[in-house]
Amino acid sequence: MNNKMQEILEKQQEQKNPDTETDDVVQLVGFIVGNEEFAVPILSIQEIIKPIEYSRVPSTPNYVLGAFNMRGNVIPLINLRLKFGLPGRKDDEETRYIVIRDREEVCGFVIDRLTEAVRIKESDIDPTPETFNEDVNLIYGIGKKSDRLLTILRPAELLKRTF
Amino acid sequence: MDEMQEIMEDFLIEAFEMIEQLDQDLVELESRPDDLDLLNRIFRVAHTIKGSSSFLNFDILTRLTHHMEDVLNKARHGELALDSKIMDTVLESIDMMKGLLSHIRDSGSDVDSGIEIEVVIPKLDAISKGEDPVKAVAPAAEETPKKAPKESEKETPKESESQDDDVDYSNMSPDEIENEIERLLSQRQEEDKKKREEKIAAGESVPQPPKVDIQEEETKPEAKAPTPKPTPAPEPPKPKPAPAAAKKPEPAKKAEPAAAAKAPTTAIEQTIRVDVKRLDHLMNLIGELVLGKNRLLKIYDDVEERYEGEKFLEELNQVVSAVSIVTTDLQIAVMKTRMLPVGKVFNKFPRMVRDLSRELKKNIELIITGEETELDKSIVEEIGDPLVHIIRNSCDHGVETPEVRSEAGKPEGGVIELKAYNEGNHIVIEIKDDGKGMDPDVLKEKCIEKGVISEREADSMSDKEAFTLIFRPGFSTAAQVTNVSGRGVGMDVVKTNIEKLNGIIDIDSEYGVGTTMKLKIPLTLAIIQALLVGVQEEYYAIPLASVLETVRVGHDEIYTVEGKSVLRLRDEVLSLVRLADIFKVDTVFESAEEAYVVVIGLAENKLGVIVDFLIGQEEIVIKSLGNYLKGIEGIAGATIRGDGKVTLIVDVAAMMQLAKEVKVNVSQSMAEDKVKKDKNSPSDYVVLAVDDSNTDRAIMKKSLKPLGITIVEATNGLEALDIIKSGDYSLDGVLIDIEMPKMDGYTLAGEIRKYNKFKNLPLIAVTSRTSKSDRMRGVEVGMTEYITKPYSPEYLMNVVKRNINLKMEVTS
Repeated sequence: MNNKMQEILEKQQEQKNPDTETDDVVQLVGFIVGNEEFAVPILSIQEIIKPIEYSRVPSTPNYVLGAFNMRGNVIPLINLRLKFGLPGRKDDEETRYIVIRDREEVCGFVIDRLTEAVRIKESDIDPTPETFNEDVNLIYGIGKKSDRLLTILRPAELLKRTF
Repeated sequence: MDEMQEIMEDFLIEAFEMIEQLDQDLVELESRPDDLDLLNRIFRVAHTIKGSSSFLNFDILTRLTHHMEDVLNKARHGELALDSKIMDTVLESIDMMKGLLSHIRDSGSDVDSGIEIEVVIPKLDAISKGEDPVKAVAPAAEETPKKAPKESEKETPKESESQDDDVDYSNMSPDEIENEIERLLSQRQEEDKKKREEKIAAGESVPQPPKVDIQEEETKPEAKAPTPKPTPAPEPPKPKPAPAAAKKPEPAKKAEPAAAAKAPTTAIEQTIRVDVKRLDHLMNLIGELVLGKNRLLKIYDDVEERYEGEKFLEELNQVVSAVSIVTTDLQIAVMKTRMLPVGKVFNKFPRMVRDLSRELKKNIELIITGEETELDKSIVEEIGDPLVHIIRNSCDHGVETPEVRSEAGKPEGGVIELKAYNEGNHIVIEIKDDGKGMDPDVLKEKCIEKGVISEREADSMSDKEAFTLIFRPGFSTAAQVTNVSGRGVGMDVVKTNIEKLNGIIDIDSEYGVGTTMKLKIPLTLAIIQALLVGVQEEYYAIPLASVLETVRVGHDEIYTVEGKSVLRLRDEVLSLVRLADIFKVDTVFESAEEAYVVVIGLAENKLGVIVDFLIGQEEIVIKSLGNYLKGIEGIAGATIRGDGKVTLIVDVAAMMQLAKEVKVNVSQSMAEDKVKKDKNSPSDYVVLAVDDSNTDRAIMKKSLKPLGITIVEATNGLEALDIIKSGDYSLDGVLIDIEMPKMDGYTLAGEIRKYNKFKNLPLIAVTSRTSKSDRMRGVEVGMTEYITKPYSPEYLMNVVKRNINLKMEVTS
């Protein structure tokens, strides 16, 4: 009985292993902020919407634009350009709000434009270069996709209040 | 195990509920010792708790309640007259019972609670035997520590009996001992039997028509309880009787909780216990619905405008109104499920006042009215502490001792009234005493003495403002710190707690006659009425509970006193602050000629908030801003309005705090900025001298020369205004003559003050007009200082130096 179980389990394992080799892929959504392309795991994204009206919240850093209403929920809005220390710019046709969720926390982020959903093999993601030590927690790694480089962000860190 | 846990939780909930009622009943009992109804009720509580606790194996609690039950039972049957000495002991034991229950709640057991029931049990025994409890303590206390804590409750009386018999066991042979035990046991059984018969006889003879069945149910198991005892009796060895007696009643007692549990449920209406979380969730859903309703109403308004006269509008109107009414009703209904009578809190006060009046040797009566008034559960929980402090305060500082009272021609007994009633969307709790009242002058003196306020502040204070001094932290008028109060903490707590609830405190007192304190508290917290205001392009919601009134004032009605804006409102002086300054709203457009002032009141404080426009009153649902934006100063939360926009809700208490800082911060940071910003030498300071007379300007320049600052000149108001507006100079101050052609000094000052960025620019009037009305006018238009001609050069120099914050040494 026990041996049988063992056998079955082992078989399953064998079947799984080759699959996971090829399936060890992360799905990401890429977007542009400033001159760089960033990405976040697709599962952390609740939705992507066109810019809507928001209300300013006082006593917050400049990158916290305020809060907006998404179907009856009040959601903070953060401008990633300002958060990354880039000069702000006006919203245009391509500006989007990416609404990211991590467990109970939800925040909207203003980005310049979306690129595409990408699949990247885990092995193609390099750990953060050590010289980046400041935002080390925010960045999960650097993904390589053909000739492009994607900075993959950690949603949990993005949603962390740092003021 | 889980089942046990559940039973225990139920037991605790029930026990605490009963105890709440108990305190009040006991105090009432003292004044009406013959009230059988009351006695029965109290007895039942002790009895029920005893029953349940023995079932749950809380031995200590069982032992204590058993002894209480003995005393109460005697009293119930008229064998014992309750006097205050007995009551003290009973109350003491009830306190212990509470302590034990809390301990059980916290740790799940009644062992090691640090509560010494052995102190009170001999007293209770003595009472039930008809002795003086105080005398009994000494010998009995010696006896008790020897006993194991788990000993049967029956053991104690037995032991004392055998002491009475004075039998010397040490000299007996084993046989003799056995005989002796048997003798004692049978003697005991005889007594028990007699007692039982008495009990049953008494229990049935009690004339109590409506509750007869309950009564019977209770007496029956009790009567049964001791009956199994005869069986184990013949078994000889010494330690046996104790555990046997303790164990045997158990099966019978198991039946008791059931019987006891039935008793209360049959007495009150049908209820079901619901987890508060479920109600909260329901409340949230209703909140969503209210938002939807608001939105619908707004859309209907738009539609109505566009399709005026169309037939379908009528139908739409009906649907919208129906939905709106049902939503409102639903909201009220759910709110009601969360409501509790405020009596839940009031219940503990009669006991407190009784204890305090005994302790303070005063004669105080507490009259409670309106205890059935209902409040949201969360609020009921919050107001307990503040009320305790206020009532303690009334007892200690308010009501005088009987001697003082009769000297003053008052009745010896003082009265504290505790009243609750509804007023609109608020509940008002009024605490009124007929004590000595407060003397505003004494209050001020004390505060100055303790450095809480300055003498100048005291001078400008009205009596009513002086009364509010008692809420300042560190304030205490008590000459001595007593057990009851005087540490200067209590009233501060009252203020903080009431502020948390967005409540308002109103205090009134007449020296020698009494003090009245009114707490005005909103009924609920989740959905509130709010006043929506606009500041530039932003909107804010101010909880209506904190809004006292709104007034429209012209800019000329706003005065500046020591750099702070104030408004004279009827006979009060109100400090003003711009909402835009509190929340650092960017100025997009010039504010209008007239401003709206929202007068907000919180606890005992008032503040005028200047806003650009008022939108109106709306029902809003408080939503959290999430972790990311939580806890931002001055913001209590957000709401979504009918148009779908997010509107922030002002945290009134925090805003009051922020308002205090605004002035200081603005002037300070400006001063700091100036010093930092390329102001390295005095010549970097620029002062504009506005005067139509060349001579006068020359005198000004000459007087200020030692300072080494740069002076720009203008010959009339218009010219000066152009210079200021052009921004060519960053001005640090303006010297203004009043009488000038084209535009006079008053108008100039008024014009300058219209600009936000020149709000703090020092304006110094230099004039030969010396009358008081001229000075007043100067203050009204926003002059910072008023200098009359002729002046000494040093004087002008010092005034300018002070106003422009010149920190450097004068060179010449």
